[in-house]
Amino acid sequence: MLPQFSYLAARSTQEALSSLASLTGAALLAGGTDLLMRMRKGETHRYVIDLGGVAELAGVTEEGGTLRLGGGTTHGRIASDPIVRRTCGSLASACSLVGSPQIRNMGTLGGNLVNASPAADSIAPLLVHNAVVTLESMDGERVEQLERFIAGPYRTTIGSREILTSVKVEALGGYHEGYRRIARRAGWAISRLSVAWALAAGEGIFTDVRIAVGSCTPVPFRPRSAEAFLEGKGRERPVVEEAVRMVLDEIRRISGMRPSFAYKLPVVRDLLLSVLGGDACS
Amino acid sequence: MFIGKDLDRVDALAKVLGTAGFAHDLRMEGMLFAAVVRSTKPHALLAGIDVSGAYAVPGVLRVVSYRDIPGENTYGAMRKDQPFLASKRVRHVGEPILIVIGENEAAARKGAARVRIDYGEIDAVLDPAAPGKGQTLIGNILACKKLRKGDVEKGFAESDVVVAHTYRTTWIDHAFLETEAGIGYADEDGRIVIRSSTQNIHYKRAEISRLLAMPEERIRVIQATTGGGFGGKLDVTVEGFLALAVYLLKRPVFMRYTREESFLSNTKRHPLSIEYKTGARADGVLTAVKVNITGDTGPYASYGDAVCLRAAVHATGPYDVANVWADSTLFTTNGPVSGAMRGFGVPQLAFAHESQLDEVAALLGIDPLDIRIKNGLRRGSITATGQVLSASAGFVETLKRVEPYWRARKKQKKGSGFGLGCMYYGIGNTGMANPAHALVELGEGGRVILHTGACEIGQGSDTVLLQILLETLGMARSDVLLDRGDTDTSKDAGSSSASRQTYVSGKAVQEAALGLRALLDKAGYYKGRTLGDIYCAMKDGGRLLFDGFFDPPAPGLDEATGQGVPYATYAFATHMTEVEVEESTGACRVKHVYAAHDVGKGINPKGIKGQICGGVAMGIGLALMEEFIPGKTASFDTYYIPTSMDMPRVDVFLVEDEEPTGPFGAKGVGEPALIPQAASVVNAIRDATGVAVYELPCHVERLKGLMEKKRMAR
Repeated sequence: MLPQFSYLAARSTQEALSSLASLTGAALLAGGTDLLMRMRKGETHRYVIDLGGVAELAGVTEEGGTLRLGGGTTHGRIASDPIVRRTCGSLASACSLVGSPQIRNMGTLGGNLVNASPAADSIAPLLVHNAVVTLESMDGERVEQLERFIAGPYRTTIGSREILTSVKVEALGGYHEGYRRIARRAGWAISRLSVAWALAAGEGIFTDVRIAVGSCTPVPFRPRSAEAFLEGKGRERPVVEEAVRMVLDEIRRISGMRPSFAYKLPVVRDLLLSVLGGDACS
Repeated sequence: MFIGKDLDRVDALAKVLGTAGFAHDLRMEGMLFAAVVRSTKPHALLAGIDVSGAYAVPGVLRVVSYRDIPGENTYGAMRKDQPFLASKRVRHVGEPILIVIGENEAAARKGAARVRIDYGEIDAVLDPAAPGKGQTLIGNILACKKLRKGDVEKGFAESDVVVAHTYRTTWIDHAFLETEAGIGYADEDGRIVIRSSTQNIHYKRAEISRLLAMPEERIRVIQATTGGGFGGKLDVTVEGFLALAVYLLKRPVFMRYTREESFLSNTKRHPLSIEYKTGARADGVLTAVKVNITGDTGPYASYGDAVCLRAAVHATGPYDVANVWADSTLFTTNGPVSGAMRGFGVPQLAFAHESQLDEVAALLGIDPLDIRIKNGLRRGSITATGQVLSASAGFVETLKRVEPYWRARKKQKKGSGFGLGCMYYGIGNTGMANPAHALVELGEGGRVILHTGACEIGQGSDTVLLQILLETLGMARSDVLLDRGDTDTSKDAGSSSASRQTYVSGKAVQEAALGLRALLDKAGYYKGRTLGDIYCAMKDGGRLLFDGFFDPPAPGLDEATGQGVPYATYAFATHMTEVEVEESTGACRVKHVYAAHDVGKGINPKGIKGQICGGVAMGIGLALMEEFIPGKTASFDTYYIPTSMDMPRVDVFLVEDEEPTGPFGAKGVGEPALIPQAASVVNAIRDATGVAVYELPCHVERLKGLMEKKRMAR
């Protein structure tokens, strides 16, 4: 059973922001697929402000090579959006794998990011697309790199009076991109490990390499030294192996050695070898 | 007319329309709600209990403790050793201590949360492999069963290959859709009525009678529409608490467990460790099997004795082995109470004996199917308990049914693999009485009524029993009425467990129906006289009631050697499974299952296919993902069962080697549907990857780890 709370259905971002500013002990419901689980386990809030009815928070628009994804856009919507699928394929793929159809129709991008689970499917592809989040409060608006916004497992820089209203990402045309996640069953599962990538190459030479690894380190991350190493180089096996070795070193440097790495590191290795080697997955 | 026909389930329409009254749906005017206070410690003395916080919650009416129990504070299907409410000591996390009764669910649950308990903690025994130290509970060893046939050392001496490994499985939850729930009330005569989600009614009535020190006639137990059981609703769950609450408060009381509570409190499948040694001659003939099974049964017996014995009896699998030595020992611990779950230990053993057989076949260069045909039990074979199979032994036929697919198998891609899993399974209780009654009545207006105590738990017994009735009487569906699951109107049919209801209750229904048929025949029904007419002419002689009874002939086993006849009949099955394993990640997907079952006679083939698809799903869970970790697993958030996305294509083949003692030759399929599945997945993984799996579940991490180890060894 859920603890008792008062429920407010916001009709606009402004109304939600003003409620958030004036009420103490208020939580935002942005789909609720994490919030309700936590409340069932005993987390209490005096007020729950539902953003589900705020139309302006949902939707996808494109302008000048940048995609704007409303914070209230559901995973289901993102997964099927033609613009996202064309220019941000790894994100469309990741969102199509979140939970079950019911969860994808309820859960939102903003909710997923603010919850900041290390296993959140949307984070790795958004990192690949250099995502920037917009946060609004009654005091105004601020933007932040997603990489900085996610401060740790289940921690972000969001203020108690702020709403994540949108995410801006780089549309990537002509890239080879994708997302792979590993879970214990075929659907409706938490990722044990995920990898997102977007690769650009000309005449067999990498011109831009973007990789993000999720569910492995406290926060999904981009192994930038390996990315930089690969740029300007070809897909030869020794080069790719060296880059993969750099990624694994980076994971160990960030997290130390964990028991789960006995499984995870070989999988990251094999997935990246096949992705960067160009023989699979995309 | 009705046998072998795909009759629609009689409960289908109500369930599809949502009108079926599941236990969770039950409500009554003025009903109260009861919640359970449970132990948070695995082993402790109850040093102090403060219930003032609960009484301070508005709406809380009563906190009930063991002191309020008028009768015996223990229950148990096999031994009366489990307290309804702990008195001085708790022996596992989740053990009930108090019941808090409130005006509504919120009050009761809040009140339960406000009870303060001081625990005097005692060292918990959590490792069954290290018994002897720590506190004895009911003696450290719950049960030890032995099976001795021939001379096993001589058998190994005659063998050309010997394979020995240890196999491990873990706790599994039943994960039924509907958690434990029910309602209790006093009827107009002051009798206590319990309506609950259950697999048995007469057993529950007897336990309530002991609990309340009240004659059974003063208690009525009715089965609500039940959302799955799988063995988890055989033991008393809500029924005792409801009866006690109604007894004390004289008002209707409702209970339902949350999913978290169900995971915490319900029995689990036994985690077993199986040391298995197999000897075979160069020609593939098995010469000896030696098995040492040890398991953790938790602090109370539940169905531990049955699991212990069944595991030993089925240790060889469906093969003719001249020399067999098996020891099966269950240790008591302060872990979860393990009890009955679909297959009673046999799915774990199938994992072991089928893995062994594939390794023997590989060493000898024999095809896995050929070695099974060579050693398979058939009519005239002698089982590990020395029982001669004189009839209905269609095992080899199940192998032959999948043979064309096996011979034609082709690996579609890298990572494809195929595996066989086989089983045999004794129908009904092991070496003990196993009776069922069924009452058939010619009632009011000439309507034929079947009164059965056999619980429909989703497996389809209502439909099957009706088909047997209609076939025996030669009547139309509209002539008969089903009255099921009420201790007031039926006689004991035993539990819906051990794959026994089609066979045992089915036979009882047939017997009763034959009684009525003889009467109707004499009265001219089969010459055109109507049922209404016959009823009117005969009703003054009292109720026209026929009591059918069947107790399968199974004399039992010798205590010291395990030799004898534990079951009247056995089901046999072969599953062939195709998997795809992704080498980079360790992800295993089951693509296709061919399932051949000797069911004796398929009363309702569509229902059997449904059972088998369910068994396949559950077997995939057992093989690849299901794992209850005490103290960690709390809900479906962390306990993964397969979803529709994990389901393969399933092709079902029925073999009908009729059982002479069964109704129209039928046996059972409920547990057989599951038993060989995990084994066939594991063998398919070996075929796909070359790695042998000795521990379940073989989830992505474990499988990748095994493949990585093999890679390093190269």
